[in-house]
Amino acid sequence: MIPRPHPEPGRLVDAEFQVLDRQVLDRNGEPVVTVDDVEITDIPRGVELDPDADAPVIENLLSGSAVLGTRLFGGRPPESRWQRIRWSHVTEIGTAVELNTTADRLDASWTERWVRNHLIGRIPGGRHAPD
Amino acid sequence: MKRLFAVALGILTAIGGFVDIGDLVTNAVVGSRFGLGLAWVTVLGVVGICLYANMSGRVAAVSGRATFEIIRERLGARAGMANLAASFLINLMTMTAEIGGVALVFQLVTGIDPLLWVPLAAFGVWIVVWRAKFSALENATGLLGLSLIVFAVAVFLLQPDWGHLGMQLIPRIPESESGSTYWYYAIALFGAAMTPYEVFFFSSGGIEEGWTVKDLGQTRANVLVGFPLGGILSIAIAACATLVLLPQAIDVTSLSQVVLPVVQAGGTIAFGFVVVGIAAATFGAALETTLSSGYTLAQYFGWSWGKFRRPARAARFHLIMLIGLVIAVLVLLTGVDPIAVTEFSVVFSAIALPLTYIPILIVANDRQYMGRHVNGKLVNALGLVFLVVIVAASVAAIPLMIITGAGQ
Repeated sequence: MIPRPHPEPGRLVDAEFQVLDRQVLDRNGEPVVTVDDVEITDIPRGVELDPDADAPVIENLLSGSAVLGTRLFGGRPPESRWQRIRWSHVTEIGTAVELNTTADRLDASWTERWVRNHLIGRIPGGRHAPD
Repeated sequence: MKRLFAVALGILTAIGGFVDIGDLVTNAVVGSRFGLGLAWVTVLGVVGICLYANMSGRVAAVSGRATFEIIRERLGARAGMANLAASFLINLMTMTAEIGGVALVFQLVTGIDPLLWVPLAAFGVWIVVWRAKFSALENATGLLGLSLIVFAVAVFLLQPDWGHLGMQLIPRIPESESGSTYWYYAIALFGAAMTPYEVFFFSSGGIEEGWTVKDLGQTRANVLVGFPLGGILSIAIAACATLVLLPQAIDVTSLSQVVLPVVQAGGTIAFGFVVVGIAAATFGAALETTLSSGYTLAQYFGWSWGKFRRPARAARFHLIMLIGLVIAVLVLLTGVDPIAVTEFSVVFSAIALPLTYIPILIVANDRQYMGRHVNGKLVNALGLVFLVVIVAASVAAIPLMIITGAGQ
């Protein structure tokens, strides 16, 4: 498909090869999550695709156990189970997807925070750098 | 000078870190049954691990991505998950074997039941993983592991008929053994030399230590000098068993038979060295496999990982390692023989080899990741040859395990 200028500024990416299953890093280079799926603007269903229509735009990166689960076994999880990272946070797509925000501000890393606050952070020495 | 020191230290720790419980037990078993007729497999395995460890180190240094991030990215979520499940379980098995090995060393010295040492050994591993700096744990266990050179010294002290020993190096199947047991142990030795955790650990360790393209020369030296010297130690272990255990038809069923030739050759002092060496080698490998369990899982799911972060900043990574250690302890407390776990772990490692090595070979050729540091033609040619060997070993392992009754 030949790219046409999109009404919104952006970059043409191959979602499957350049985004899916890539490591997401926050502003400080800390791993956040792996891209389990992406949410794109609606493609009309049941009608033939209009070759002149604008290419769909990635709106959010998705993650979460339900999203990964359906990647593994098929199906479609309810939207309430999607953990979204807004595409506007993305600053760079290279060997990893880089964000302009920190991991702690994202819903996608809530399990990391839960394990930190309830388990690992409570073990003596857990919040100190190694000697 | 500082640079030279760093290179020397890297090489020495690579030698000491090469040998683990799998190499110790498998080489002793093979030496006691086949003499040196399988030493060629160790040579083959060392060439293979040099090739692929170097490749994974280069991928990590250039792209900043560790092995399991790449496996997930290349294989996709589903095949990546199947790979993760197999790799994680086999790594857990190796980890159990290493912790059991630490317990067996303490039993050898104190005479106290290894079951009592198992929780202590695991706790020791956890404390080091929790608190020690990455470079400190690497260097300490690697350098102490050099005590294993006593195996090479013992070969000389045993004053063998060198011509006779040299003749043994020619691959042949002894009359007391069948062709299938010979090939079964060939695969076991190959698996012991090329254990996948070494690659997970090596590539993730490169990121822990912040390697960049500038460090490629040093990592290459560590691998290309350190691993072959470690391989010579492995062959020395087999040679010791060939000289002492084979003529007397002594079976290797515990660590005491592994160290017997060394003690016979060098007495108490040699015993001291071999005990320190085995303790350091198994403890070091227990640390590496424990970290690898965290690395593989965290990298697949994209969690924060690494010893260079405070544990609270890599919480799930540390949680996984804790759970892994608890499982290993529980398995060992059932009273299962750590030597038997070791023998199975090296064969299962051989089965899992393609899972790790194929994605590395693919990514090492990907310009998007590697830029101008993609594989050269020679490396690719060797890599493909080894891929054939790895796949053949992997496919043949289970049928041979069934035919031979796991090497009986």
